[in-house]
Amino acid sequence: MKILVIEDEESLRESIVSYLKGEGNICEVASTYWNAMEKINLYSYDCILLDLTLPGGDGLKILSEVKKLNKQEGVLIISARHSLDDKLSGLEMGADDYLVKPFHLSELKARIMAVIRRKNFSGSNLMSFNEINIDLLAMEVRIKEKLITLTKKEYDLLIYFISNQGKVITKNAIAEHLWGDEIDVSDDFDFIYTHIKNLRKKLVEAGAKDYIRSMYGVGYKLENV
Amino acid sequence: MKLAQRYNRANLITSFIILTITGVIYYIAIHFILTGKLDKDLVIEEKEIEAYVNNYGKLPSPGDFLHQKVTYQKNTSGKIIERNFFYDDFYNESEKENEPGRSLITSVDLNGQNYQVTISKSRVESEDLIQLIFMITLAVTILLLVSLLLINRFVLQRIWSPFYSTLGMMKAFNIAQKEEIKPQVTKIDEFNELNDSANAMATRVRKDYRELKSFTDNASHEMMTPLAIINSKLDSLLQTGTFSVAQGSIIEDIYTAIGKLIKLNQSLLLLAKIENNLISDVQNIDMQQLVGDKVLQFQELFEKDGLTLNQELQPFEVKMSKYLADILLNNLFANAIRHNHSGGNIDIILQAGSLTISNTGKSEELDNQLFERFSKSASSEGTGLGLAISKQICALYGFIISYQFQENRHRFLIRF
Repeated sequence: MKILVIEDEESLRESIVSYLKGEGNICEVASTYWNAMEKINLYSYDCILLDLTLPGGDGLKILSEVKKLNKQEGVLIISARHSLDDKLSGLEMGADDYLVKPFHLSELKARIMAVIRRKNFSGSNLMSFNEINIDLLAMEVRIKEKLITLTKKEYDLLIYFISNQGKVITKNAIAEHLWGDEIDVSDDFDFIYTHIKNLRKKLVEAGAKDYIRSMYGVGYKLENV
Repeated sequence: MKLAQRYNRANLITSFIILTITGVIYYIAIHFILTGKLDKDLVIEEKEIEAYVNNYGKLPSPGDFLHQKVTYQKNTSGKIIERNFFYDDFYNESEKENEPGRSLITSVDLNGQNYQVTISKSRVESEDLIQLIFMITLAVTILLLVSLLLINRFVLQRIWSPFYSTLGMMKAFNIAQKEEIKPQVTKIDEFNELNDSANAMATRVRKDYRELKSFTDNASHEMMTPLAIINSKLDSLLQTGTFSVAQGSIIEDIYTAIGKLIKLNQSLLLLAKIENNLISDVQNIDMQQLVGDKVLQFQELFEKDGLTLNQELQPFEVKMSKYLADILLNNLFANAIRHNHSGGNIDIILQAGSLTISNTGKSEELDNQLFERFSKSASSEGTGLGLAISKQICALYGFIISYQFQENRHRFLIRF
């Protein structure tokens, strides 16, 4: 996958790039409006991460340029502007998703994967990790052809893990992903443990390996064993 | 007491006292003057009698003219008769009635015989005069008082009307709204000065408020970027190698603190946005559906603490921003869960026009500061802004949110 990260804040850009790189992903960066405009006109990407406040111009203009060029890139807006109007106008102008800063990198990755999936596979939409196969349209999970039943939360959790395979995902990020960031109810996220335990149990019972591991008490990681 | 009323009262009392004193002085003076005139007449009569006695050597015939009587009496007692003026009654023959009179007792000597002479005059004319003067004075007094009252009522009211209009506008002054104070035009310098000062103050207050608000807004905005960086760096840090559980626990604490700071910032930004009425996606919201969805969304959180939920949802629509409706319900639900004890319960009742959320809880009744910013119970882990935001959202749409503590339950009621 080729991803263009348009973000003027260097530290944040670096974190994003280092998180997204690897597993065959290529990241390019742009830090100014004109820099971004140039790259968009010259190259093609699978997904563009677009910050709205850029030196040199408004990020929304970049979005309209992408749409004007009739490009197929998925555009994910990342902005500190927690403004509903920005969100609405961004989505109306054809952005595929909108993520408000600050965000967890795991959330960003999951959103990027979702945007790319939606762009690339119109029709059947499959996702897999070793013996785990997911039909995203039918919302079915199969382990080596054997159908298993997951709750909505377990299903979302599994996709989240596979999108972030090999990465440590914090409990905090999982809670926000599953319950939304406006729900600020719990100060310990131990209740997530139950959901993860159930998911692992269902996967292992159906014949999959136990890929999900607890990491230092902070979070969890799904990786090849 | 109103200023006009107070002024009126002082004015009337003073006028009344002065007029009364004037009346009394007037009365006494006139009385004195008229009595003096009567006495002079009596003395003239006395002189005439004396002259008559001296000229003719006999007493004049006792006269009884209109308004004047003269009587003679031999002084047999041998006492010297003192010359004396006094008041008495005067019998008017023609009108056959007693009138007030003034008399002079004196004496004349005739052929060695001492006679007591009484000269009486009717005072009725002078009394009539005094009465007339008194009536005129009274009428003038009443007229003056009435006109003072009327002037005070109508003229003062008109004169003060710019003051009251300015006052009304100052009362209605809302710091968050942009309307200027537009005072009534007046020729009275004091009121013009008042209007100018009120306007200057309003402008200054608005400016300070705007600056403060934009400061908060900007500070929150500016803080978001470093927070985003810290958050992403922590995420990156976690990917870099292996950590011990002790290190993990430190990282988790940092995450929690950052999470709180982010939440706090977002809440402050949201408050500013609601205050500035910058949230515009007003639409008809099916509350029955929304509350139902929220219950599902919070399902796991209810279960976590073993809470039982009782819901009675009737169809009801409300016009507001979907975004704010979400936040409002999130805050109230989260509070009901956060401040509950395990095994407790929550009642959610939606009726046409009202939503009630009541729950069992750990603490006693909350104090009446609960809707204020940063007011929270000692055990609360929240930002202390949830209820302030809820209240602000309700205020934006004219809903009324209230809190009660009844039968050991915390009860929040929103009237739409």
